[in-house]
Amino acid sequence: MTPRMTKLLLGLSAPVLALVAAFAITSLVLLIAGDPVGGVWGEILSVPEGRNIANIVNSASVLYLSGIAVAIGFRMNLFNIGVDGQYRVAAFTAAVVAGEAWLPGYLNTVLAIVCAMAVGALWAGIAGVLRATRGVSEVISTIMLNFIATSLVAFLLRKAAVREEGSNNIGTKEIPEGSRIPSFSFGDGPGQEIYGFVVIAVLVGVLYWFLLGSTRFGFDLRATGRSTTAAVASGISVTKMVVAAMLLSGAVAGLVGMPLLFGESYTYGSTFQSGLGFAGIAIALLGRNHPVGVAIGALLFAFLNEQSNPLQILVGVSPDIVAITQGVIVLTVVVSYELVRRYGVRLEQQSVARALESERAQREEVTA
Amino acid sequence: MTSTVEGSGPTAPTGPVSVRLRGIGKRFPGVIANDDIDIDVHRGTIHAIVGENGAGKSTLMKILYGVQPPDSGTIEIDGEQVRLSSPADAIRHGVGMVFQHFMLADNLTVLENVVLGAEKLHGIGGAARAEIARISAAYGLDIHPDTLVEDLGVGARQRVEILKVLYRGARIVILDEPTAVLVPQEVEELFANLQGLKREGLSVIFISHKLDEVLSVADEITVIRRGTTVRTVSPSEVTARQLAELMVGSELPSPSTETSTVTDQVLLSVRDLTLPVPSGRPLLDAVSFDIHRGEVLGIAGVEGNGQAELVESIMGMRPAATGTVSLDGQDIGGLSVRRRREAGIGYVPEDRHRHGLLLDAPLWENRILGHQTRSPSVKGPLIDKAGARSDTQRIIEQYDVRTPGADVLARALSGGNQQKLIVGREMSGDPVLLIAAHPTRGVDVGAQAAIWDHIKAARREGLAVLLISADLDELIGLSDRIEVILRGRLVGTFDPAHVTPEQLGSAMTGAGDDTEVSA
Amino acid sequence: MRRNKKLASIFAVSILALGATACGGDDGGSDNAGDGASSGGGASSDVKVGMAYDVGGRGDQSFNDSAAAGLDKATDEFGFESQESEATDGEAESAREERLVTFAEAGYDPVIAVGFAYAEALGKVSEQYPDTHFAIIDDSSLADSPNVASLTFAEEQGSFLVGAAAALKTEADHIGFVGGVETPLIQKFQAGYEAGAQAVNPDITIDVTYLSQPPDFSGFGDPAKGKTAAEGMFDGGADIVYHAAGGSGGGVFEAASEAGGKAIGVDSDQYETADDSVKDVIMTSMLKNVDVAVYEYLSKVADGDFPAGQTTYDLAVDGVGYSTSGGQIDDIVDQLDDYKQQIIDGDITVPTEPTS
Repeated sequence: MTPRMTKLLLGLSAPVLALVAAFAITSLVLLIAGDPVGGVWGEILSVPEGRNIANIVNSASVLYLSGIAVAIGFRMNLFNIGVDGQYRVAAFTAAVVAGEAWLPGYLNTVLAIVCAMAVGALWAGIAGVLRATRGVSEVISTIMLNFIATSLVAFLLRKAAVREEGSNNIGTKEIPEGSRIPSFSFGDGPGQEIYGFVVIAVLVGVLYWFLLGSTRFGFDLRATGRSTTAAVASGISVTKMVVAAMLLSGAVAGLVGMPLLFGESYTYGSTFQSGLGFAGIAIALLGRNHPVGVAIGALLFAFLNEQSNPLQILVGVSPDIVAITQGVIVLTVVVSYELVRRYGVRLEQQSVARALESERAQREEVTA
Repeated sequence: MTSTVEGSGPTAPTGPVSVRLRGIGKRFPGVIANDDIDIDVHRGTIHAIVGENGAGKSTLMKILYGVQPPDSGTIEIDGEQVRLSSPADAIRHGVGMVFQHFMLADNLTVLENVVLGAEKLHGIGGAARAEIARISAAYGLDIHPDTLVEDLGVGARQRVEILKVLYRGARIVILDEPTAVLVPQEVEELFANLQGLKREGLSVIFISHKLDEVLSVADEITVIRRGTTVRTVSPSEVTARQLAELMVGSELPSPSTETSTVTDQVLLSVRDLTLPVPSGRPLLDAVSFDIHRGEVLGIAGVEGNGQAELVESIMGMRPAATGTVSLDGQDIGGLSVRRRREAGIGYVPEDRHRHGLLLDAPLWENRILGHQTRSPSVKGPLIDKAGARSDTQRIIEQYDVRTPGADVLARALSGGNQQKLIVGREMSGDPVLLIAAHPTRGVDVGAQAAIWDHIKAARREGLAVLLISADLDELIGLSDRIEVILRGRLVGTFDPAHVTPEQLGSAMTGAGDDTEVSA
Repeated sequence: MRRNKKLASIFAVSILALGATACGGDDGGSDNAGDGASSGGGASSDVKVGMAYDVGGRGDQSFNDSAAAGLDKATDEFGFESQESEATDGEAESAREERLVTFAEAGYDPVIAVGFAYAEALGKVSEQYPDTHFAIIDDSSLADSPNVASLTFAEEQGSFLVGAAAALKTEADHIGFVGGVETPLIQKFQAGYEAGAQAVNPDITIDVTYLSQPPDFSGFGDPAKGKTAAEGMFDGGADIVYHAAGGSGGGVFEAASEAGGKAIGVDSDQYETADDSVKDVIMTSMLKNVDVAVYEYLSKVADGDFPAGQTTYDLAVDGVGYSTSGGQIDDIVDQLDDYKQQIIDGDITVPTEPTS
């Protein structure tokens, strides 16, 4: 087997192992809960309808951006728990800016998105600066910033809220039609529309891949993540990298709410989706911080979320089962990747050892 | 291949065998760490085990101390076959181990350290104190139970470790590279202690790669190469060179310098370099020296006397440092690490795993490390993967890095090959100054020779080298001049051509206050 | 270091997974499926009722539970088949839509959306499924849709009466109001309460506090916050505090008990459901009979009639009211009934938004 083949097989074996394990564990949970195992898997594995596919893709685009935001931090060993707060502050800002419509048409959209990224970056940057200058763990500071974000947005939302007659929702001013991002339709059925922002999410993935893999900045970032000490010795200013990585992570976090804002709700209000930042952590782990892996993780999460309603309504199981399945999948993926990684390292050490052996043998023949 | 020369030498011991290893084998996936090892350790002797790095010494010791079970073979202790499945097992059978890195709590007394985890033996009070005093006296260890460990020197701490092992009833004491941390005077004291153990009928297993020491202290020497026993010899029948050749399996290099290539052009000039500490003695205290083109300046010193700080200050990693550092006439004091590297400083760090490599990155990415702003690894703001790969291939060839290719993770390489890669990388881009901290530490003899050769070759080309090493032979062999560092200050200059390791040792410990400047 | 980070990640994700599970509520569909699918009582019917709860679902001891009680009564009586599904905290708009669509697709008719959070989703889905009948509670923005029944409540009217009761009973001329989350809905409670109190005594002092601001809905489920807020009011001299804070109300009762004051419950007759230790402090509760609304809606469905448009459950139809359990306000019932009649007759118009 060629080394490339081995690598490929190893790469495939981890997710397969994880899914098989997750399948087994979830079935066990269902059995214990007394739920119909066959019915559940039948429903989960049934072909989704057009509108479900649209929902999955749309929801995945949001989760993907969140996953990438977290992954940027992870690549540098920074645990940005604060994506949750960052995206909410940013989405609120963008909603207000876009709702006020100071600029016409898409200029308004662009301005709002830029503002969202800037605010997200700023919010994350606070944690970055604290870490770089004061050594405050970004885990602690971003958790605290999440709380502050919650209260701040709530406070500002009350100031900015407009109310619709007869509704008990409150939200920001609706974004004018000319500034909304149109969706793609891929069928005649209702709801078969995919957010235009999905394109931008894909673009973010490509940029992430390029920035990390092919640029000096990306190299410095990854090197710092792998070994701070070696990074310092190689001339990387770790404090600058910490701030830069947090800013970047926060800027991407700022984009998380944008597909929803410009493609679905057109306003930031009390029913805006929350908790996306935490889902992003799980998805980044699931995708091993790889742009394609994160995309698969996001799709998987979106897929499972989409199963929640039919499982309750059609099969009659608790939505908690879906949550449990998600948790189980993340755990099994993390564990199986670690197993496969160790196995891979051993394989490599073997091949190095073999190469050395044969060389030594030759050397000894020569000297003998 | 295996030949046990039992009783063949004139001083070969004939007493009863306390440890008998037969056919010990241990495989890790793809690597045979131990293969058919046969050793007899006689009671009341010092038995040395020597071998290159990676020859399988540590694996063998881990097996004997119960850390890892062998895949094959038998262990007999005092004639009885045993299975050692944990260190506790080993202790129960009278096997004790003194590790290279001490495991002592600084803020506790000797008594507390010794009884820690062995409270059942003699309690923690008077009985324990009496027992410690007894052992100390019986073996001449000179240890007082109520001294705080933090007040003890390195040699004394090592004796505490030995005492700990004896307190737990060990009859067989394994010492892993015990002299690595000691200055020559302390080594002699240690050897005297070992003789004491021997006199009391204990067996000592002494692991080392310092052949002169082995020859002076051991009663028997077993050479291990590539996981198997090559020969067991008596020290009287071999020379150090023969031993080394047994270890390597081929002819040996030596670190001797050729004719001086020192020029009168000052390349690195350090003046009054001080690294203050908010409260207490500065880590570096007004250090001043010059290195000329084509000159190797060696820094000798007991570890922890400011060597690491000196290197890091020159590299720009210690922002608190004051004083001036100029490279080729340019003051580089205000420059970042990256600018200093770009100015032509190559850096072989002391701890290659922490400072020199990204262990989980492929070799070609490690090639880029420290050269992120210079070709051939980058093009503008982008990484030049092809360039980095091909230049890694060049290093692999020129520096004889044993690896299947540039895409292998650095972690997969042996220490010596990792170090050759680092040296090769730091020599890339034509540095004018090389800072090499312990460049051959933990490296096998073959790689050591190769690294010495590269340093010597670069010196001929006009490279200035700042060499930090704990290996006095290496310092004396490679340097054009040796400075001794003690408590952050340069305390003496020596000419390697005329200095002995003992003289250096005195200066390093501050014993000879009348610092002889024999340069 | 690496290893530690990795462990930390695994740990964190496990916590998240657990958190997600906890948020989902512990009493979801699995056992309800059994409840719902069985058709109790003697009657039987082809009607399949879909019930989409808000976060918390059946078993939240509050709003959702009240709706569930109405559903249970109707299914028992009319032999409906029913199925239930609940929202998860912070879910996407599309998930709410999908919940309604799944019901509609599976042939559930009518589909009842519990809570105003469904308004936007229902707006879309009711257009996509014009032949399915929907009902939504606490929202009237869809009152014009031909296939949506908006079931709303005149919370301000009920609150007016308990406000009047508080003003009649206070000895300090100082009362308080603790709102769960400062939404327009809860502000209706506040507005009615203030109006009722001022109708009795124009100079009365009324403290007002909200526990959280949207989109943070924690104020509906945080007894500790409720207690702190109420303690502040009692310390400040108030002797009666009315809460419209869902699950946080328990804290208000505790504070009242410790301070020797009185409290007014909300939604259901909390004297009946509260812990014995705090029962005595609950002098009355503002009743918001969601169960009545659900039951009445379903009884019309049983008659083959699917109502549409807005139905407001007010004092006139006993959709809201006040409780007298415990007998603490027996002496003022006449006065309160007088106010009630004035409101029903239109002599008093209760504001729906606070004046301040």
